[in-house]
Amino acid sequence: MKNSVSRTTLYLNIVALALLLSHSASASSPTINLFPTTVVEDLRQTGNVARDMETGLQEVIGRLDQQQELYLESKCDGAENDSGCQRLARQIGATYLEMLTIMEERLPDMEHTVNNTRNSLEKGLRNELGRKMTPWKLQETLVGTTASKTQTQIAPTLRGRSGMRLSERFKQYYTLVATSGAKGDQSLAVLASDIYLDMEETSLLIQRTRQEIARATLMEQLNQSFGIITPEMIEVVGGVKSILFGDEEAAALVAGPPPGSIEQAYRSPLEQ
Amino acid sequence: MTYSTIKKPLLIAAAVFATSLFLASCASTTPTCDSPQTRNLNAAIDNVQASLMNGCHTHFDRYYDDLLKIAEGEPKAENKREFSEFLVWSAGNGLLSQRQAEDYYNRFFNVKFMSMRGDYNNCSHTCPNKQKVLFDMERELSDKERGLLKVSRDADSYYRADQLYQEVELVLEATCSACSAGR
Repeated sequence: MKNSVSRTTLYLNIVALALLLSHSASASSPTINLFPTTVVEDLRQTGNVARDMETGLQEVIGRLDQQQELYLESKCDGAENDSGCQRLARQIGATYLEMLTIMEERLPDMEHTVNNTRNSLEKGLRNELGRKMTPWKLQETLVGTTASKTQTQIAPTLRGRSGMRLSERFKQYYTLVATSGAKGDQSLAVLASDIYLDMEETSLLIQRTRQEIARATLMEQLNQSFGIITPEMIEVVGGVKSILFGDEEAAALVAGPPPGSIEQAYRSPLEQ
Repeated sequence: MTYSTIKKPLLIAAAVFATSLFLASCASTTPTCDSPQTRNLNAAIDNVQASLMNGCHTHFDRYYDDLLKIAEGEPKAENKREFSEFLVWSAGNGLLSQRQAEDYYNRFFNVKFMSMRGDYNNCSHTCPNKQKVLFDMERELSDKERGLLKVSRDADSYYRADQLYQEVELVLEATCSACSAGR
């Protein structure tokens, strides 16, 4: 479920903007129908579910952070037999259980909407890019007939699964969508592909997470009797935090090409 | 008797002389098909054109590579035009077909990939050969690096080709996954 929970909120905004901008561009260029209204509706629902989950988890994780800080400040690490430390550990465990419960409650809805989005995009990609296009046509769509080199410089590197900071991702997606309107179909094809692959991965991860939650809940209920903080708990909390706040080790953006003059570009009669 | 005895050796000598002259003339017109020695692209193209018209057409690939090497020594935007005109000339003189000329040009000097040519839809043709298509594109990208970046100093176009390769990789991954899910 890595990176998926919060990203769906972005997709809703992105696709809404993409549609808006592609509508404005549609007067001059034929469009491929990769984002029909069903996809937008699916994304809207997924976005709502994800936002609810995010909000709930953010608050719980904030509390977990505070409790862990207190645990460390109280020098409880290594003093597990101390009754005060045991009480703190139980509190942390209870908050951890709360986090698992929120996830357990929200994940079925998430899974349903994510699968719907994936299926809609899958159908669009298969029909529009897979069956209606030759490889050459696909390439021409990606290059775009009117895309200038200056615009491609602006386009951000698109990788839906890079795990970069949420705010940064939003900024990048926004830039992409903002330029996709002017460039036409090529950005939408990349965007649809990126979201589809991400949704596919998300769907698998949700399935696995749901299987794991039941086991983790049972384990923590047992741990509650002893007041223990397990390494697994810390790992899971860390994972959920990275979903919400992004990964600090996100790859640096590839440097843009040096400025060149488009007007001077030579066009050969052999060029295709 | 005296006349005939003198005439015979003279005739033999004349025949030997004529044969040697003939052989010598043949040796002087046999094409050596050497690579151009100049570092100047225009002069090298003239040189290559003369060689190609003089029976060295089977060495076209090597000459093209020679010209690229020479152009790398003085990269500039105009080189693109020089190569285009050379290829148009080659096609015009029957050394290449129009399609071959296009391939030679576009593989090195165009953003778009010749490896993405195909008459059938992506689900039926590209997806089953996805790895090969991507491998061919990768090789073509290194030719584009040579043609666009090292010969024409057109970094913008080369970076666009590189970006296009990455986009194709992503879009094919998604599209082929969607195609196989629909089976």
